[in-house]
Amino acid sequence: MSGNRRSFVLMGGGALAGLLMAGYSLFTARGTSTLIVPAEAVALVNQQPIARSDYLLQLQTLYGVDLQHATAAQRHKVLDDMIREELFVQRGKELDVAATDPDVRAAMVNSVELEIAADAVTSQPSEAQLRSYYASHQARYASEGVMTLRDFVFPQGGAKAAAEAAEVLRTSVPTPALLERWHASDSRKVADEEFYFAAQIHLGERLFDVARALPDGAASAPIALPDGIHVLYMFKNKRPTPFDFAAARDQVLTDYRNDAIGHLRTGDEAFLRKRANVLIADDIR
Amino acid sequence: MAAVLVRESTLERRLLRADPNSIPDNPALMQFARERGEALFEIHCSACHGRHGEADPARGVPSLADREWLYGTGLVSDIEQVIKYGIRSYHPRAWNLAIMPAYASAQPSARDASIKPLSPANIRDLVDFMVQKQRREADPVAAARGALLFTGPAGCYDCHAVDAKGDSAIGAPDLTDPNSLYGNSREALTMSISHGRHGMCPAWVGRIPAAALRETSVYVYSLSHPGGG
Repeated sequence: MSGNRRSFVLMGGGALAGLLMAGYSLFTARGTSTLIVPAEAVALVNQQPIARSDYLLQLQTLYGVDLQHATAAQRHKVLDDMIREELFVQRGKELDVAATDPDVRAAMVNSVELEIAADAVTSQPSEAQLRSYYASHQARYASEGVMTLRDFVFPQGGAKAAAEAAEVLRTSVPTPALLERWHASDSRKVADEEFYFAAQIHLGERLFDVARALPDGAASAPIALPDGIHVLYMFKNKRPTPFDFAAARDQVLTDYRNDAIGHLRTGDEAFLRKRANVLIADDIR
Repeated sequence: MAAVLVRESTLERRLLRADPNSIPDNPALMQFARERGEALFEIHCSACHGRHGEADPARGVPSLADREWLYGTGLVSDIEQVIKYGIRSYHPRAWNLAIMPAYASAQPSARDASIKPLSPANIRDLVDFMVQKQRREADPVAAARGALLFTGPAGCYDCHAVDAKGDSAIGAPDLTDPNSLYGNSREALTMSISHGRHGMCPAWVGRIPAAALRETSVYVYSLSHPGGG
């Protein structure tokens, strides 16, 4: 008899434990409609959680207070605003506002692109991957060249003086007296010392291409342009210096990630197109 | 076994429901979160930040073990925002206001066309200005020219503040601190001004659970507060 009673008690206890576990699972399982607000949320709006951390951040942003120091009115206002926003977002989905509102469409496209990019950012490439990337794109990683030069302009018809000047400047530095003798002027297109990109903008493509090749202390041959005949004199030409991996690593990592983002975006778009059913009107094909 | 699971579940709920900035005052929660956060940090963060949050100027990795914060003021809630949404992570809520322009390029900032390039001489002057601000030996004449550039045409003051002490509300570093993010050699400073900087921290929201975000944040907080709160 006592054995039977023990069996019943044990069976009852087991059944009760089973019920408790089933009930707990039922109300806490992911994707299950529940009446319990998860610990990481401050509210559930049609089962959509409002994150506790977002709520705290909003309190801090709006009132500059943390949860402990917020008044009941402040807490209520922030929560109410967040619930309102969530309700309107959900209603927006029901109304399919993206179908008609260009701002919503643009925001959604941007948001999906950002999401794809964020995926790429969370995976950290290994040093070997970065070194390999650096090795295959080494030309990108160099300092900007710097040049200090003068651009002398001779009047049209002054080809003889320009040729003489170019010859003299191969062995001596330009002086005001020499310029005066040749009736030449300094175009003042370049400052004392300029990065290559700046010199390129200031001189124009043709003169820059000649200047870039000049070594220190060299003069160019005369170059005829519509505004006169130019002779370039290079005081100092510091060409771009390749960065070693350590110096370039920061930029290599950025470029590597940007490429990864580009590949992911291309892949995602290809996948979306592949699974989509797109019909195009006959007259537009 | 069941008792351990129930205890952990209870502590996790308490951790998530707690005001993050009050957790350091709660030894039980602190210990629970720190232990679990350490393992998460090892998996998700140590590739850049090392096992103990040590600085690496060669890679622009800030120290997480001191109490100087580039973003926010070092509260658990500030750290959690960074871990959750990242820095220049492409998440819409990431910290991404400040991006150091590359002044030795035709277009220093892709975002702001009003930022103009600087000449090599300008950059040298700014380096002298920064070196002087860090109370190291600098050319005073060049530093004076650099100061005019800093508060004038170069526009550095806009992010780094007029006193060059930076602004943790946007992640602009304190330039008077000799422990520069990328090292304080003249070469490193020249590199920063010439080619810009844009360090990145991924956004982990949606990739690891909310409890893991909180636990990692508490662990990072504990690195600079080894004695507790």
